[in-house]
Amino acid sequence: MFLRRLLPPLAATIAAGVGLAVGGDALPLSQVVHALANPHAHDIAHTILWQLRMPRVLCAALVGSALALAGVQLQGMLRNPLVDPYLIGTSAGAAAAIAVALALGVALSLLPALGFVGGLAASLLVAALARRGGGIDATRIILAGVAISALLAASVALLSVLARSISFQLTLQAWLVGSLAGRGWNDLRFALPYAIVGALVAIGNIRSLDALRIGDLRARGIGLDIERAQWSILGSATLLTAAAVSLAGMVGFVGLIVPHLARRIVGSDARALLPASAFLGAAMAIAADAIARAAIAPRELPLGIVLAFAGIPIFIVIYLRREQRR
Amino acid sequence: MIRAHGLALERGGRRVLDGIDFELRAGEFVAVLGPNGVGKTTLLRACAGFEVPEAGTIELDGTAIHRLPVARRARSIAMLASDELLADELRVRDVVAIGRFPHRPWWKFSAGEEDERAIAAAISATHLEEYLDRVFTHLSSGEQQRVWIAMALAQGAPLLLLDEPTTHLDVRVAHNVLGLLHERTQTGTSVLCVLHDINEAAAVADRILLLGCGRMLALAPPAEVLASSLLDEAYGIAMHRARTEDGRTIVVPAHEAR
Repeated sequence: MFLRRLLPPLAATIAAGVGLAVGGDALPLSQVVHALANPHAHDIAHTILWQLRMPRVLCAALVGSALALAGVQLQGMLRNPLVDPYLIGTSAGAAAAIAVALALGVALSLLPALGFVGGLAASLLVAALARRGGGIDATRIILAGVAISALLAASVALLSVLARSISFQLTLQAWLVGSLAGRGWNDLRFALPYAIVGALVAIGNIRSLDALRIGDLRARGIGLDIERAQWSILGSATLLTAAAVSLAGMVGFVGLIVPHLARRIVGSDARALLPASAFLGAAMAIAADAIARAAIAPRELPLGIVLAFAGIPIFIVIYLRREQRR
Repeated sequence: MIRAHGLALERGGRRVLDGIDFELRAGEFVAVLGPNGVGKTTLLRACAGFEVPEAGTIELDGTAIHRLPVARRARSIAMLASDELLADELRVRDVVAIGRFPHRPWWKFSAGEEDERAIAAAISATHLEEYLDRVFTHLSSGEQQRVWIAMALAQGAPLLLLDEPTTHLDVRVAHNVLGLLHERTQTGTSVLCVLHDINEAAAVADRILLLGCGRMLALAPPAEVLASSLLDEAYGIAMHRARTEDGRTIVVPAHEAR
C-alpha cells in the first residue's frame, strides 16, 4: 500500500519533467537540465524554460490538482461517483461572465478575475437553491447545478449568436474548450492564493470525508456536524474550481476521472485519496498540456480537447470494468 | 441515562407521538414495538438528538439531547441508522475504525493507541477477526449488521440505538445479532432497539415499549405486554397467546391471512 501511495507523486514528477522538456521549440535535454540548474542564466534556453514552460507546467499542475481535489470532495459528499466539479455551476458561471465581458469589450487581462467572480457567484446561487434546513440536499444540488448551468450556457450561446465579431467568437471558444495557451506567471499569481485556500480547507475536510463514506445519517450518528461539513466541502470545491476555471477555462473530465483513478490506486481513505487525487490531477493536466503544445507545433491544441480524447476512453474503461466486477 | 417527559414528536408537520414518558436505565435492553408508521423510528431519532421535540423533553443525564454538541453526543449515544453507503470498496476494518470518529480531535488523522484498543475490542466482541480485510459490500446482510454493531461498539457509547437490526436476516442470524446486543447489556451498555417481531422482542428484551395510536401504550416486562390486550389494540388485530415447552408466551395473529 505504501508503494502504491508513491505512484501519484511519481506520476506528477515524471509528467512535470516531460512538460518541461517538450514544447514548440525543440530544446535538447541537456539544455533543459542546464537551464533548470542555473535559474539566473540569460540564454534562450533559460528564457524558454523559465518564462514559458515552467509557468505553463505549474498552471497545468494547479488546474489539474484543483479540479481533482474539487471532484473527489464533491463525489464523497454526494456519494455519487458521477459528480464532477462543474456540476455546481462554477464553470457555467465563469463562461457567462467571460462572454458578457467580451461582449462589453472588457480588457482581456481582466478575464481571469471576471471568470473567477462569475464562477463563484453561480456556485453560490446553486448552493442557495440546494439548501434544505441547515444543510445541502444531494438531489437538489444536482438539479440546481444542472438547471443553472443550462441557463447560463444558453446565455453564452445567445451572446455568441448575437455577437458578430470573429475575435469574440475565438476568445470565447478558447474559454469554452479549455486552454492554457499564453498563460504565464501573472495568471498563476492570480489563481494560486484561491487554490491554496481551497486546498487548505480540503485538508480540513479529510476527517469529514472519511466519516461521510458510511452515509449521511450514520456519519451524523458518529458525531459529524453534517451541515458544517457540507458547507466546508462546497466552499473548498468552489474556490478550487473557480481558480482552475479562471486559469484554463472549462477543462473537462479531470475532476470526474481522476478521483476514480486515485481510488483504484490508494483506496477510499480520504487521508490517502485527497493527496493522490491532487498529484494524479496534476500529472494528467501537465501531460495533456505537453501533448497540446507539441502535437501540432508551432500551433497548439486546446487542453480541454486533448483531455477529452485521452480522458473519455479511460473513463469508459474504468466505469465498464467496475460494473463488470460487481 | 435517557429520560423522556411529556415528549411530543412530529414528522412531516404531523404529530405522530404525544405524551411519551419513559426512562431507560443503564444496562437495560428495551425493545420498541408498534405498527408501521406509529413513530418508532422518529422516537429513536429523538433519542439520537436528530429530532427536536415539539413539546416535552428528552434528556441524557439531565441535558436535552438535541442541544448536546454533536461529538459529545456521539461519545454517549451510538445510533445505527439504515443509510446509503458510498459505492466505495470499504473494508470491514475501515468501517469499524470510523466508529472512533468522535474520539479524535480534528487535527488528528490517524488512530491512537486508545483507538486501536477500542477497535480491537469491538472486533473481538463481534467475532469479526476473520473478516477484517473483506470488502464490506461483499458481506451477507447478517455479517454487515455485525460490522455496524462493531462500529457502534468502537464508538464506545454507553447507549446503543438500533432501528430494525434484524430486518432481512434469517432466524438464526437474527438470533445471533440480538444475542450479541444482549451480551453488551451485561457490561452496562443500554440498548434501545426497534423490532418488528414481537416474539423476538419478548425473548431478548428486559422491557417492551409499546407504541400505538400516537402514544405509548405500555412500558413493561415482555410477559406483561404479551399477556395484555394492549398488543391487540396497538396492532389493530386480535392475537392468540400460546405457551412454548420451555414456558415462554408467544403471540400469533388470531386469524390466518387467507
